[in-house]
Amino acid sequence: MAKFQLHVNGRWHPVDIDGNMPLLWALRDILGLKGTKFGCGVAQCGACTVHLDGRAVRSCSVDVGVAALSKITTIEGLSYDGEMHPCQKAWVELGVPQCGFCQPGQIMSAAALLAANPHPDDTQIDAAMRGNICRCGTYPRIREAIHKAAGDTTS
Amino acid sequence: MSIYRVTRRDFLRSAGVGAGALVFGFSLSPDELLAADSKLKQLLHNHVILNPFVALQPLDGTIVIVTHRPEMGQGIRSSLAAVLADDLEADWSRVKLQMADADSVAYAIKFPGADVGFPDKVSVKLPFPYDEPPADGLVYAIPPEGSQFADSSRSMAAYYQTMRLTGTGIRLVFERAAAKVLGVKDATECRARQHKIYHVPSGRSVDFGSKRLLIHAGKEAPPTLGDIVKALKKPADFRFIGKSMPFVDAPNMVTGKAVYGADISLPGMLTAMIERCPVANGQLESFDATAALAVPGVRKVTAVLPSTVAPGGVGRAFVPHAGVAVLADNTWAALQGRRALRPHIKWNYGPHRSYESSAYRKELEASTAAAGKTVRETGDVDGAFASATKVVEAGYYVPLLAQAPMEPPMAIALLKGGESLEVWAPTQNPDSAQLMAGRLAFGIPESDWEKEEIVAKLRKNVTLHMPLLGGGFGRKSKPDYIGEAALLAAQNPGVPIRVQWTREDDIQFSYYNAVSSQYLKAALDGNGYPTALLQRSALTSFFGTLFSLDKATQRAKTLDGGVDGYASGIERAQGLEDMPFVIANLRIENCEAKNHIRVGWMRSVANIYHAFGICSFADELAREARRDSKDYLLELIGEGRDLSRVLASQHVKQYRNNELPLETVNLPDKSGQLMEIVGAFPPHTRRLRAVVERAAKECGWDEKVRQYKDVKGRGIGIAAHRSFLSYVAIVADVSLNDKNELTINEICGVIDCGLAVNPDRVRAQMEGGIIYGLSYALLGEITVKDGAVVQNNFDDYPVLRIHQAPKISVHIMESDQPPSGVGEPPTPAVAPALANAIAAAGGPRIREMPFNRKVVVL
Repeated sequence: MAKFQLHVNGRWHPVDIDGNMPLLWALRDILGLKGTKFGCGVAQCGACTVHLDGRAVRSCSVDVGVAALSKITTIEGLSYDGEMHPCQKAWVELGVPQCGFCQPGQIMSAAALLAANPHPDDTQIDAAMRGNICRCGTYPRIREAIHKAAGDTTS
Repeated sequence: MSIYRVTRRDFLRSAGVGAGALVFGFSLSPDELLAADSKLKQLLHNHVILNPFVALQPLDGTIVIVTHRPEMGQGIRSSLAAVLADDLEADWSRVKLQMADADSVAYAIKFPGADVGFPDKVSVKLPFPYDEPPADGLVYAIPPEGSQFADSSRSMAAYYQTMRLTGTGIRLVFERAAAKVLGVKDATECRARQHKIYHVPSGRSVDFGSKRLLIHAGKEAPPTLGDIVKALKKPADFRFIGKSMPFVDAPNMVTGKAVYGADISLPGMLTAMIERCPVANGQLESFDATAALAVPGVRKVTAVLPSTVAPGGVGRAFVPHAGVAVLADNTWAALQGRRALRPHIKWNYGPHRSYESSAYRKELEASTAAAGKTVRETGDVDGAFASATKVVEAGYYVPLLAQAPMEPPMAIALLKGGESLEVWAPTQNPDSAQLMAGRLAFGIPESDWEKEEIVAKLRKNVTLHMPLLGGGFGRKSKPDYIGEAALLAAQNPGVPIRVQWTREDDIQFSYYNAVSSQYLKAALDGNGYPTALLQRSALTSFFGTLFSLDKATQRAKTLDGGVDGYASGIERAQGLEDMPFVIANLRIENCEAKNHIRVGWMRSVANIYHAFGICSFADELAREARRDSKDYLLELIGEGRDLSRVLASQHVKQYRNNELPLETVNLPDKSGQLMEIVGAFPPHTRRLRAVVERAAKECGWDEKVRQYKDVKGRGIGIAAHRSFLSYVAIVADVSLNDKNELTINEICGVIDCGLAVNPDRVRAQMEGGIIYGLSYALLGEITVKDGAVVQNNFDDYPVLRIHQAPKISVHIMESDQPPSGVGEPPTPAVAPALANAIAAAGGPRIREMPFNRKVVVL
């Protein structure tokens, strides 16, 4: 066990846990932040995507000891003052979710993409989002929603 | 009080004709509410219960609709509620949805034949559309299911009518009560409109939230069913039905607030990871817990199954595999504990240890190489082959497939006071999950599992809460993982136990979609049209998993095969027996396939391999005949006919039309009057023809065929299939380059699902179903070695990713037919359309999945 200060969604959280515990389980089991989902545990599906200093990472495969060095943002911290992130708004407006389980991870990846590239084309979207699996098959709407969140017209 | 009710006993008494009917009950009076002692009451405390589905909230007049069907992404919570709210004239912004618990007493009535533990059927059907009430005053009914089992894309087909009647009945009560509040003599002058009831002549109104309205409504005599039928809204007045309604759960889903099973946290809860015997029916011999217990945070290591319960596998329904559980303070500790435990378990693998996929494939293909049991026959097939100008034959193979929903299975169970069990779990089949959890937790001997008094007791003593499902696709129809939590809860009274599956567990311990071999042989005349068709199917029936052989005799009649190594009537009705083409000499044979692993069902089930076989073969014949594939397909389908009549004349014993009746029968109601029960969803090939024509038009088929003739490596393919009462055509447009790399340029899909109640969700299901179909067609395969599944996770069981998802266009047929399924029907035609397109593009003829063995999928 080791003591860490985790900076999550703008607040410090002291924890006393195994430094090798993946960030995913620290978020879910220790901090009770349940928006970040467990889908595969081996960085294959993206359901657990969070931001470390604004970069999209798979929290199932980042040790908490490493994550403690960065500012962590989860789906719960993506919106400010109750105002949804443009991605979240677009996701609702276009009816993207079906079962919804992968969508927090999808949105975290999409938000990181838009922060780095405000107007991605389809190829860039595919490249940035291919780490996020959706079994319900919402991919066409995800593409459309990212364009919408970017303020670009969709075809 | 009730408008109309057939109790279970009444129902069984009149059940001789093999079909049943129920019209829902209303419960309005406060006295009844106080006397009621149901879970529904707890759920709705502070509300006045209007009927089993709806509550009117005092003070603000919010309408709370209890959504009883599991929500797994199909949007059924929103869609069914919108139907009810439409007829009720509720303002959608003042409607709230409340997820029900498992409660088969509130939602289901037993149906004859339900002894197999399968969905109960109940409901009401009225003539469609409802422009005029039936002249003879009779109620027309079909018996769809009345349970909460989200299965076979049946929710809308089964509940559309019930929701409409319920909404209308409540509206009538409100209108009559409003007449009293407003001091109006003639209640027919009062009309509800968007949460208010207006006295039309004077324009005065009363809101649904009025206390006086609520009091009067509570005293109001129930409207008769006849009154309700007359008061149903005309389709032209629909506000929500047929319009795209918002998906209620979406805002919570995108903000991380939506609650799935694993998001529920209880005080003192322990997390369990289970190491399971990798071979079906294998037994636990021994284990040494020392290493696992040394992991910090691990509390306990224990066998999951008591010695009295034989391990799950073939013939063991929903009993869990043998396993050893590591119980820990948190998920990470449980994971590490399990890893430490793994080398220290000894299994007795049993006879299925020798199961191996490539050897089994040979066995299956040998089975379809020989004659099977004839299930449909017409004409002289052997004679036609003997005199044929040309004979074409082909074999198709589909491997085991895992559903792999994004949310891995999990369940929480808590034994309270030794006699009541509380469960939180994502499940498609709440009723079955509730019973299985109780049977295992309370150690009910297996000989007593089906006993009526035991079942009643379990329903009373087991509470099952239904969080959202992070996908189901058939996997969560099987409550094995819930049984594991129940067993561990029984060992640890008072401690909530969360059994969490990993992705590896999910891939390795699914109830797989059957492995199947299809053999087709056709005789062609001089014009290339088939004069004869022989079709053979071998598949590992899911009934081999659900029922042991010793139960075969008693089940045989209901299941019509399935338990003895042959496809059951349910599986045969999914694209085999109901082969739609017009062929003069036809024989369809059911071939043997023994089970060695748990088999269940996956989105569209037996349609997957049946559609792949027949729709690919149709294209092969077209090519053989040098005909346009679409024109040839239309010729095979013909002008259109009621297939159920054809099947009846071709010796199909009991065609199962998604478990809905085909013929009209008369049933006595409670008062002894006869009710006519009309089959509402006859399989009609005119509708299949129509989706093919529409798809050809929408994708510009003829133009593209001309255009691609001169383009190397470009092609389009078409396939059409009816399943779950809906009709779908798919056109795939593909390119293949010199390196044999496949690009899917576009998929065009057309669906006829009757009335599209919520078109945006129909569209979403089409998009998703097409992608699901592409996923298994291109990439999916589960293989077995030494009786154990080889694949582990998304790296070796890949599924479609965004860069592989093509552009998809969806078209919904306008229809005045009753609504039918949309969850599964989009899927079956995808793989054959794609295979046909690849062949058209000059690529290989692909007769087995996954396609990435024959073409490169980037």
